Amino acid sequence: MPRISPALVRHAKQTDIRLAKLLPICRSLDSARNELRWLKQHASSIQSDNAPADVLVNRLIARRAKGEPLQYILGSEYFGDLRLECRPGVLIPRPETAASISHLVDLLFQSHTFRSLPRKLQVLDLCTGSGCLPLLFHHEYFKHNLRADTDIRLIGIDISKRALKLARDNLSTQLIAQKAPSSLRSLQKTRFLRADVLHDANIPHQFGIPSVLDALRTLEGTPTPPCFDILISNPPYISSRAFLNTTARSVKLYEPKLALVPQHPAPTCPVNDGDTFYPRILDVARKLDAKVVLVEVGDMEQAVRVASLAIEQGLWDAVEIWRDEPGRQAPAEESVKIGDVCVFVRGVGYGRSVFAYRGSATEWFASEKRVVSV
Amino acid sequence: MSTVPYVCARCLRQSINRSVRFSRRQLRLQSTSAPVHAISPTLLSRARAVADEYASISQRLASDYDAKAAKRLGELQSTSAAVKEYDKAHSALTELESLLHSPDKELRDLAEDDVQPTRDRIEQASAALRSSLIPVHPFAHLPCLLEIRPGAGGDEAALFAGDLLHMYEAYCTRHGLRTARLKFETADGMVSSTGAGGTHLQEAILSVEDAGAYGNLRCEAGVHRVQRVPATESKGRTHTSAASVLVLPSLTSENDGETGEDSFNNPKSDYYVDPKDVTTEVMRASGAGGQHVNRTESAVRLTHIPTKTVVAIQETRSQIQNREKAWQLLRSRIAQQRRNEREEEIARLRRGAGAGRVGREHKVRTYNWGQQRVSDHRSGLDLRNLDDVIAGGESLDRVMESVRAWMAEQEVIGLVAEEESKQSKV
Repeated sequence: MPRISPALVRHAKQTDIRLAKLLPICRSLDSARNELRWLKQHASSIQSDNAPADVLVNRLIARRAKGEPLQYILGSEYFGDLRLECRPGVLIPRPETAASISHLVDLLFQSHTFRSLPRKLQVLDLCTGSGCLPLLFHHEYFKHNLRADTDIRLIGIDISKRALKLARDNLSTQLIAQKAPSSLRSLQKTRFLRADVLHDANIPHQFGIPSVLDALRTLEGTPTPPCFDILISNPPYISSRAFLNTTARSVKLYEPKLALVPQHPAPTCPVNDGDTFYPRILDVARKLDAKVVLVEVGDMEQAVRVASLAIEQGLWDAVEIWRDEPGRQAPAEESVKIGDVCVFVRGVGYGRSVFAYRGSATEWFASEKRVVSV
Repeated sequence: MSTVPYVCARCLRQSINRSVRFSRRQLRLQSTSAPVHAISPTLLSRARAVADEYASISQRLASDYDAKAAKRLGELQSTSAAVKEYDKAHSALTELESLLHSPDKELRDLAEDDVQPTRDRIEQASAALRSSLIPVHPFAHLPCLLEIRPGAGGDEAALFAGDLLHMYEAYCTRHGLRTARLKFETADGMVSSTGAGGTHLQEAILSVEDAGAYGNLRCEAGVHRVQRVPATESKGRTHTSAASVLVLPSLTSENDGETGEDSFNNPKSDYYVDPKDVTTEVMRASGAGGQHVNRTESAVRLTHIPTKTVVAIQETRSQIQNREKAWQLLRSRIAQQRRNEREEEIARLRRGAGAGRVGREHKVRTYNWGQQRVSDHRSGLDLRNLDDVIAGGESLDRVMESVRAWMAEQEVIGLVAEEESKQSKV
């Protein structure tokens, strides 16, 4: 991290001592100015008689200066078009994740291909956290599609009780904001379930948390789990080494490690313990007959590893790697060779997610020349 | 010649100086244009052409109806009526003048009594004629964006810019116009350090959302000058500072469905901006990104490559909202640039007639606290109740009204110049 120049610190002190306090965590004067303004606005909205706004502002600034994320202090974060609640103990949604989800929905509605979409689309989100992925998927889907008969069913899964509580609260906030009857109907059917993605059948039920398939079976009340069309996930993907070296201090100290670093190092993936979740997610995708998978990853190397896992599975008709802004046209067509398969890399920025589809989903994305040469 | 046989050289020099100074004080450099009294022959000939067209269209309409022609007829009607009224008044005057030379004294007296009212009638008719010929500004019906920035004068200019913002907000509230602060950047901490109690404005963009706001506030564009003892001044000296006000017609997405010049999806429109020409920059984390960092920067910067116009918005925490605002601003700025370009040709013609461009170059108004005076340098109006003006009260209405009248006059001068140059070319 480049150091802050003394001249900048001096300048900040001269304009406002509060700016100087925020400067080390914000790293730039512009950013510090913005955060100060938002903190002030927040303070004036929560002020009371025995806690006037200026006192509150100073308290909030002290918390922020220690490194507490702004989103926990203000209690909210903007995720795409949505304003979601944020609480300590649950991962704060990141804008890159929103970009991937928006792009996925954009692809579904590209040109005329959306006619081939099933009437009732089933979407499963693993490691849902604040529920941001299913809620944004729903919002984007109904932004494109206003037909009265469209229907989607969203299910989010997480292991943390606090995350599930927050996800349900965010869901009820979104329910109030719905206007169209079709979008309201779909959102009312949204469920958040508790399950363990890393659940191992050989180990007796740890802490009584069921596996993903068991949880879905219980929900349906059927002996076989339901089928899903799309599986999305933003699992913990930071390796224990990267957590020490790369991860920002504020994230390390204040955001839940459960949502960042896989907690059960599995013997299947000894090279990098950040990859623990991906084989399980791909396995769930196979068992649930998912036609599309979109999982977030940490960087390009991890993306290549996850893509090769998906290729090894031998199920997918196409595998792609998406960067931070998948919707933006990269200056030149890019691809990576994994084994003898050529994987397209879309967009600009850092490697952010791995996208794979098969079967009838090839029709959904047919308008683009996306067929992979195997 | 002086009757005094001898005057000492010093006294002589002083007396000359005094008279020179006196005459210099009489000179007003940037104000009060003389109102146009008589109507120019070129303008009159144009009006007559319009009246002829009116007559021919109304004849044609009598036989068969055509919606387009009927609309045109409505546009021409006021000019045609004004020409008729002018001609009537004019013939009355010539008749009276012939009577003035009549041998009958009684008749002459009667005529003399009638001369003045008839002249007034001509005056009124020509004023009506002029105003009917002035084209309505093509953006006049739109809502507008009011941008205020401090100019020369440091802290004091920033404080004055804050005063101006409050003035326009108060004005809009009083007239029931809806306003929203699109951008409001203050120098944090300055207010408390100076104890001035004002707003220390760096930049503000006020969006006035009612239709017709641009036509109403257009006259406010320009450099506003302030002369006062600033709150930041410890020795009681008067400073002169300035703040600039930009008024742009704005287009909200509500107008989307409309056809014609307003729609920004129509490539022919001034508001059309090809997304391919615009690069979007968002602040992004350096290094790993994703779960590794948690950033709060939501600033969006748009650059329109052909015109090198840059717009940056970091007002809200939502990047999407910032992007929408940035696009709105970019469209307005580019539309204004395009319109300016188109106006350039006409403006050159008009400048020949001494009509300065009604643009943003010069100082247009002075607010003098010491004398409690507000002077508009365009209309030449002097008002002594500064407090009411700065509070956005009715005095501000008077000032703005005078400027609008002045602008209309400038339009007429411009029109005359245009007509004359057209005729000289033929």
